[in-house]
Amino acid sequence: MIKTLKELCALNGVTGHEDAVRDYIIKAAKPYADEIITDKLGSVMIYRAGSREDAKTAMLCAHMDEVGLLIRSITNDGYLKFICAGGIDRRVLIGQRVFIGEKRIPGVIGLKAKHLSSDEEKKNLPKLEDLYIDAGFSDKNAAESQIELGDYAAFDSKQVEFGDDMLKAKALDDRVGCAALLKLMEKRRSCNVWYVFTVQEENGLRGAHAASFALSGGKNRPDIALVVEGTTAADLPSLPPHRQVCRPGGGVVIPFMDSGTISDRELFSKLTSTAEKLGVKWQTKEYISGGTDAAAIQRARDGIKTAAIALAVRYIHTPISSVKISELFDIVNIIDSFLEEL
Amino acid sequence: MITIFKEITMWDKLAKLSNTIAPSGYESKAAELAAEYLRQFTNDVQIDTLGNVIGMIPSPTGVKTLLIDAHIDEIGVMVSGHEGGFLRFVTLGGIDPRMLMAREIRFLTGHYGVVACLPPHIQQSSDADKCIPVEDLYIDIGLDDASCIPIGTVGVFDTELADWNNGCVIGKALDDRAAFLIILRALELIKSPVRINIAVVASVQEEAGHRGAKTAAFGLNPDLCIALDVTHARTPDAPEDRTFVFGGGPVIGVAPSIPRSMSDTLKKLAKDNGIPYQIEVMSGNTGTNDWAFQTTREGIPAACLLLPLKYMHSPIEMFNKDDFENTAKLLAAFIEVQE
Repeated sequence: MIKTLKELCALNGVTGHEDAVRDYIIKAAKPYADEIITDKLGSVMIYRAGSREDAKTAMLCAHMDEVGLLIRSITNDGYLKFICAGGIDRRVLIGQRVFIGEKRIPGVIGLKAKHLSSDEEKKNLPKLEDLYIDAGFSDKNAAESQIELGDYAAFDSKQVEFGDDMLKAKALDDRVGCAALLKLMEKRRSCNVWYVFTVQEENGLRGAHAASFALSGGKNRPDIALVVEGTTAADLPSLPPHRQVCRPGGGVVIPFMDSGTISDRELFSKLTSTAEKLGVKWQTKEYISGGTDAAAIQRARDGIKTAAIALAVRYIHTPISSVKISELFDIVNIIDSFLEEL
Repeated sequence: MITIFKEITMWDKLAKLSNTIAPSGYESKAAELAAEYLRQFTNDVQIDTLGNVIGMIPSPTGVKTLLIDAHIDEIGVMVSGHEGGFLRFVTLGGIDPRMLMAREIRFLTGHYGVVACLPPHIQQSSDADKCIPVEDLYIDIGLDDASCIPIGTVGVFDTELADWNNGCVIGKALDDRAAFLIILRALELIKSPVRINIAVVASVQEEAGHRGAKTAAFGLNPDLCIALDVTHARTPDAPEDRTFVFGGGPVIGVAPSIPRSMSDTLKKLAKDNGIPYQIEVMSGNTGTNDWAFQTTREGIPAACLLLPLKYMHSPIEMFNKDDFENTAKLLAAFIEVQE
């Protein structure tokens, strides 16, 4: 599963451009799927029927997309101006290497040398519109021969295992969810399961809106939904304890709400009691920053009982996002046991 | 005298040297490599008291000695404290704090860490416009207790050299290890017999204040010196009049401290050999090792020859291969006319 996670993180799937991740998932899911549907927006819905005839149907959801950049314009000198796709703190962009487009053209986000900057400049960040990608083009024509406006750029960040069982990679939000779903799919369960891999979560949960509408109106309608996510850890020593809301190593995160969804109480209780029963460490958190696909799924058509479960990710939405590897196994164990008791 | 130093292996050698962890005062790993590379040109390679690597290439007809220098130290960080699983740190050499957020760091102990970023929910919207000063940053090494890395442990940007399309090379510590490779390339380019003894110096502690250069030059007592270093190449956010064209050729330093005859020789050689060149006019400290050479012993005439480099003191330092080759050509021509 760690190999799968690393392979998934190595793929680029900037929101709206999830093709490489989707291809990987479809290939990995083929041996286990009873049905694979790619919907109009590009989300993948994989059905695996349960062994019981009167089985309930669960929907597990993870998003395939990641935050990244879009090339907005090219300067006369051949530098590329960009906008962010998804929420990115621009402070993490400076000095970062990126890959542009399908051809993976390497570039860097530059900043003039310290020696050329005033003290005042060094205290403040350049505006997003003043940042640029340097891919070594000598002028606009050279850049235009290889870059098209609208090309995406993804972080160039290797997967590094470090410290005590930590993994650093880009796009852990939400390739951890994708990897967990692919693992869970390997087993035929008593219940029916839709494994749903959505697009454009970072662009406003758009894939989840369409996918949950389709599933809740079809045969094998999901009775419950579980969103499997990466969530913001906040455990820097400089933060007061009440703001250190969750941390890698503190256990699987089972939130009772996020900013877009109040988890279904029954599902929340079942998840926490499952963790307790298994003796797996868990923690909660008052919210998951931003919304998750849960908001879209919960309110699809006449509603679906929905909850979320997540891994604490340090430095989420940056090239150095990091998780505790053992917690990926823990989250799979909890969901596995939860599904068996559905 | 010259072993063929093929281009294909040159970038490999630069990669190895650039990727090495060797901040100012801790250059031994880079020094070992520099010594190994120099041994392809001479058997007389030594490391002096401060750690400078010195390769002597005598000329059968040589009376005088030319010292050719590039520094092999780099900027870095040093652990200054522990807070739980996180490290506090200071910078070694000049690093812009804006370059630090989300950086990957490799310590001399082998430990890996990342410069921690603030989670969004504790930030105000105006925070995004502000740079976090170094004293408020942490390095996360993924342990519950970071005290296994002693205070004083040094680290550098964890990144690898990349040989790009468009004739660009990017990586860390190209200031000034790229210039060390330029010296080797120049030695390889020399065609006519050399009439001056050459002392190649891979110097230490330049970023800490030209310290290695001082002792190396004292020990060698050369007749003249040339420092190979880097200068700022132009980028959209940098002042045009303080930066140089990327791909515009080597930059010849002109300064009160540099004998005009030496910079004039470099200019003339560039013109005669059809090598594009640029001029950087400086006053006071040039920021390169010639500043140290000029006041060593009784005073040694010293010039500087510079490679245009973008994003100096970052993990994405970038130079242009044409500039690299042209700088080496000009240095080779300079060596050939000395006697």
